[in-house]
Amino acid sequence: MDSNTPPSSSAAAGSADPSAARRNSKRPKYSRFTQQELPACKPILTPGWVISSFMLVSIVFIPIGVASLLASHNVVEIVDRYDTVCIPESARNDKVNYIQSPGDKTCTRNITVTKHMKKPIYVYYQLDNFYQNHRRYVKSRSDAQLRSNGSADDVSSCEPEDKSNGQPIVPCGLIAWSLFNDTYDFSRNGQQLSLNKKGISWKSDREHKFGKNVFPRNFQNGSLIGGGSLNSSLPLSEQEDLIVWMRTAALPTFRKLYGKIEDDLQANDVIMVTLENRYNTYSFNGKKKLVLSTASWLGGKNDFLGIAYLTVGGLCLFLAMVFTILYLVKPRQLGDPSYLSWNRNPG
Amino acid sequence: MIMMKRFVYINDDQVSHELYCDNRISNRKYTILNFLPKNLWEQFSRFMNQYFLLIACLQLWPLITPVNPASTWGPLIFIFSVSATKEAWDDYNRYLSDKKANEKKVWIVKNGIKKQIKAQDIHVGSIIWLRENDEVPCDLVLLGSSDPQGLCYVETAALDGETDLKTRVVSSSCMGIDSELLHKIKGVIECPNPDKDIRRFDANLRLFPPFIDNDVCPLTIKNTILQTCYLRNTEWACGVAPFFSGNETKLGMSRGIPEPKLTAMDAMIDKLTGAIFIFQIVVVMVLGVAGNVWKDTEAKKLWYVEYPHEGPWFELLIIPLRFELLCSIMIPISIKVSLDLVKSLYAKFIDWDEKMVDEETSIASHATNTAISEDLGQVEYILTDKTGTLTENKMIFRRCCINGIFYGNDSGDALKDVELLNSIEAGSPDVIRFLTIMAICNTVIPVQSKSGAILYKAQSQDEDALVHAAAKLYMVFLNRNANILEIKFNSSSIQYELLETLEFTSDRKRMSVVVKDCKNGKIFLLSKGADESILPYAIAGQQTRAFVEAVEHYAQMGLRTLCLAWRELMNDEYREWSLSFKEASSALVDREWRLAEICQRIERDLQVLGVTAIEDRLQDGVPETIETLRKAGINFWMLTGDKQDTAIQIARLCNFISPEPKGQLLMINGKTEDEVRVSLERVLRTMRITTSEPKDVAFVVDGWALEIAVTRYRKAFTELAILSRTAICCRVTPSQKAQLVQLLKSCDYRTLAIGDGGNDVRMIQQADIGVGISGREGLQAARAADYSIGKFRFLRRLILVHGRYSYNRTAFLSQYSFYKSLVICFIQILFSFISGVSGTSLFNSISLMAYNVFYTSVPVLVSVLDKDLTEETVMQHPQILFYCQAGRLLNPSTFAGWFGRSLFHAIVVFTISIHSYAYEKSELEEVSLVALSGCIWLQAFVMTLETNSFTILQHIAIWGNLAAFYVINWIFSTIPSSGMYTIMFRLCREPSYWTAIFLTVAAGMGPIVALKYFRYTYRPSKINTLQQAERLGGPILSLGSIEPQARTIEREVSTLSIAQPKMRNPMYEPLLSDSPNSTRRSFGPGTPFDFFQPQTRLSAGYSRNCKDN
Repeated sequence: MDSNTPPSSSAAAGSADPSAARRNSKRPKYSRFTQQELPACKPILTPGWVISSFMLVSIVFIPIGVASLLASHNVVEIVDRYDTVCIPESARNDKVNYIQSPGDKTCTRNITVTKHMKKPIYVYYQLDNFYQNHRRYVKSRSDAQLRSNGSADDVSSCEPEDKSNGQPIVPCGLIAWSLFNDTYDFSRNGQQLSLNKKGISWKSDREHKFGKNVFPRNFQNGSLIGGGSLNSSLPLSEQEDLIVWMRTAALPTFRKLYGKIEDDLQANDVIMVTLENRYNTYSFNGKKKLVLSTASWLGGKNDFLGIAYLTVGGLCLFLAMVFTILYLVKPRQLGDPSYLSWNRNPG
Repeated sequence: MIMMKRFVYINDDQVSHELYCDNRISNRKYTILNFLPKNLWEQFSRFMNQYFLLIACLQLWPLITPVNPASTWGPLIFIFSVSATKEAWDDYNRYLSDKKANEKKVWIVKNGIKKQIKAQDIHVGSIIWLRENDEVPCDLVLLGSSDPQGLCYVETAALDGETDLKTRVVSSSCMGIDSELLHKIKGVIECPNPDKDIRRFDANLRLFPPFIDNDVCPLTIKNTILQTCYLRNTEWACGVAPFFSGNETKLGMSRGIPEPKLTAMDAMIDKLTGAIFIFQIVVVMVLGVAGNVWKDTEAKKLWYVEYPHEGPWFELLIIPLRFELLCSIMIPISIKVSLDLVKSLYAKFIDWDEKMVDEETSIASHATNTAISEDLGQVEYILTDKTGTLTENKMIFRRCCINGIFYGNDSGDALKDVELLNSIEAGSPDVIRFLTIMAICNTVIPVQSKSGAILYKAQSQDEDALVHAAAKLYMVFLNRNANILEIKFNSSSIQYELLETLEFTSDRKRMSVVVKDCKNGKIFLLSKGADESILPYAIAGQQTRAFVEAVEHYAQMGLRTLCLAWRELMNDEYREWSLSFKEASSALVDREWRLAEICQRIERDLQVLGVTAIEDRLQDGVPETIETLRKAGINFWMLTGDKQDTAIQIARLCNFISPEPKGQLLMINGKTEDEVRVSLERVLRTMRITTSEPKDVAFVVDGWALEIAVTRYRKAFTELAILSRTAICCRVTPSQKAQLVQLLKSCDYRTLAIGDGGNDVRMIQQADIGVGISGREGLQAARAADYSIGKFRFLRRLILVHGRYSYNRTAFLSQYSFYKSLVICFIQILFSFISGVSGTSLFNSISLMAYNVFYTSVPVLVSVLDKDLTEETVMQHPQILFYCQAGRLLNPSTFAGWFGRSLFHAIVVFTISIHSYAYEKSELEEVSLVALSGCIWLQAFVMTLETNSFTILQHIAIWGNLAAFYVINWIFSTIPSSGMYTIMFRLCREPSYWTAIFLTVAAGMGPIVALKYFRYTYRPSKINTLQQAERLGGPILSLGSIEPQARTIEREVSTLSIAQPKMRNPMYEPLLSDSPNSTRRSFGPGTPFDFFQPQTRLSAGYSRNCKDN
């Protein structure tokens, strides 16, 4: 094009044209971000990477699975279901009536220790088919009231166990009201086994969630008695059974710590348990079990993690093998342009 | 005019004050008082927002809410305040700019005294005094000017973007009134109600005594100066004002709120949202019924739940409503905000892109509409203007033919043709006359600059080119002084008196001037115009064959031609004619038509002198751009107002149509309905046959046939439009352009219209995406467009890079947003099966809220930096755009994949959490956090797997987010009153927590990685193949350089014309034996076209039918 053409008319108006100035200043500033040119690493799924990472996962997971299974198997656990057994034969037709009627419901169970159990031995009670996670139940508590004495009136969330005779219940709500109240006594060879009931709840709960100056009031004195009652002279922070109970379970089957036996139990020891069978699980066909268990680094006896680890590790190994075989049998060049259809049939 | 009229009394405040509004400009949408209600109302008119509000209100009912209402209200208020703040900020800026305009000082004349007031206080009927370089504060009717002829010059750049000066004249009745008297002028203007047409103004002016001239003086747009113009080269001007003021000015009226455009992607997201909504309703109903049944059969037995025997009347509704609230997170509340955010970032990337800055003018590309970037990646049809869009619109005089002699054929530049220079020196009279017409038959204004050089201010680029060329050929147009035109030839000065100007109209397609030679008093008519409007009026006996051939020859080369002609007028003839001309030009009725008739009377018996050929160069990189985009499966339609021959030639030059034997042009022509119908049917028949062949068929239609085809044979034409990849529509009007866009849109195609001039504005606004070229025809198109770019070639980058990335990123982001919401929701649903179908929430309020608005929203935002393929690869393999066009990355089936993935992950997370935390560890808060941690870990790995390129920001966002999750939860774990007090510390110390998390990750990601690897390696998509090729450095197919080749029109055109001299007479041959009318234009397999062949071959197999595969 000719360079000596006179400048076009627009240039004449140049300086006075505000839009021209604005346009020039709009030229963007350069930076790698604005140009979308930040250095990037672009990994792709090459056979090498994929096969070796599956391999690696299986190599790591299978030993962990074995270790978990071993840990779980090393845990000695004795489970004793007593809900039906502890009802006299005569009353078994109408268990609900039996449990609701007053009277002595002491029951004795003999448990044989199968294997040596090292201390501490945890004593749990297990409830089945008990919905602590039911929406109506799980919401029915007042954390403020539990924490401090001043909030005793804070019972709005505790419906329907909020007030008794117009007075606020402390602790209010369905959870506290339905406190589990079976008790267990253990003896070995006629000798009382000491059961440590201190420190079964979370330290943080005792110290911060349940107040030291909050005492039970109006508890279980309504027309409808739910579960156990509380010693009104002890502050809530010392009512550990209540604190444990108030940690609601996520599943309808759960265990809660009852106490710890600070003594080794030998194999074939016979433990006599004297229990007060008071708690009503009969109206909803719930089971009650007494559990004695030792603990491992993973907790109680639970094969799930071990089996799952072995399964996942095994599957990864299997996949790694399959991919290796596929790679060897049917090698495929990555990024072969002949797979682009527009290259395959040009016209 | 039969319309409503209004009367404006000049200089009479009392009357007009009450009637019409003042000059206050207001672009504001809100006032302080109505901001909140109006803004809320607008926000709540969207369905999504109504839905969220309903959910939030339901949550206020403690009986049914699973979580703290804050978990919905928090994000909702946040989202609302973000968009309200944005609106308020925009509105505040509008207020500031209005205020600046309103408080500008202007001089007005009141009761004969000049004084300065604020622009907002101007009233209808007051007289405004403007000085040079003043901005016009409102629409004015000119009453006086410093120029004795009553002329003044205005620059209308702000109004229509045209930077050349326009002349405006004082209305004839005020002509010559002394400036002192002007202060006291009184009168009345009768005008129609305000409208927004900036090219028309029909009114009358009547002055009151003592200024009575004649009764009524007509006013046209020529007598007005409009708001925001600048007064230039005129010492002062005054006008009655504001003729229309404030928001009623032409500019104010044409400001419209653009209709929001919805992208195909938004529509798809809405559809998916709707599907999820229905799914949610079904889930809620099923769970609601199940919950009520369970309650009646089982929960009544649970004494510790204490269900009352008699519930309230709404008891049956409680459980379904609880589930509705639990499931409400299925529709992610954050998606709207995330999408808005990333969309504005896409737009910013376009604004920032250095590779789309026009080097010549430093104009950066700009995305005016920030919401539709994804649509760029889904374009199927591009409708493009020719002049100024494909070409530079920089007219250069290249060749001419004077009296049958061709100049400039050898060198390609007539200015350097020795023969021409010689005949100028020899003083050949025809040549000199030819040059004289080039120099003065125009409306160009020469301006002497301070340095002494002469600048030409021309309204048309053609005239500009001609005057400049004449100046180079020693015929310099020096001065236009009143009616005296002064030119300098060699060194002698020649003066002509300009008697009349017969202006150019698009109907007449020619313009003429009548001049008197000051030396000998001879009167001449000098004309220039299109061949079909000059040659038929040649004097009897003159052989015009040579000119016809010249015109055809030039048109074949893609040059614009003008015929120049002259005639000497007898004195009497002129006098007689000029009387009727004057009469016609003051006619009130049918002025234009009558003028045309009068002009016709004198523009006859013309002595045709020759033909000029002006080159409108193709812009750099146009052929490459079109070729790349056509390869990307985009169909091109060229819509131009130009001649058929020129259009076809340009189309060939820029790879629009392939040469024979691949390419085939089908003509649709005809003057009557029947002819058009027959022609259309034949073309359609041919088209149906050829779709199966790898042929590149294009149809050519002109405006007239198009009008008939579109109105009468719409169905057939629509079918044709679908079948044809390429079309050339010539001689079309702006509204026809818009009509064609509408037609394609109605067939459900994504259209992109690109243009640069005012005549493209309608098509640009009509199309799904409007792209404006900020070019020489002004900024009008760029202003109306969604995107403005400096050069046509940037379109390639705009679509292939920005459009494609935007589509990919939004596709991922939107589906991921649904995925993460569904995961958490499925976990809640699964949990409800083990919690007595009572609607308990596994997660607490804080976790739910943070999950949605923080943990999962932040990492996904950095996916705006993700690039699946490098820009270079995309440019080399534009076919990959097909994935975006066909919507392969976001559709119900890809969404089903994400849906399945979320279900799978929910099951994995839930199963592992409840089983590894069973029995004595089954504590609600702990299980909830284990599940949440599992989700977060999976999210991080899903993000990692789906990210194609990791920049530092992605690493920070993904892994930093994971770390932030722990930090936040540790912080919450230190607050005794929070539900999760100490939980996170407790968990982090337990080996079983970590084993559960790693198990979740391995079990959740393993199958997905395996599946992806398998597909990636053994069933790779084209994108995957290219990724592998690009990253492994594998054999990338090279298509040769895609850089713009240095090719000039010169070389091709000259080879063309030399090698194929027969091209001057286009060959016609019947395509079907029974179709004499339907013609197929054959280009002949000439050597020059081999140049195109290797590149065009590849595109053929890739037809738009691919989509059906």
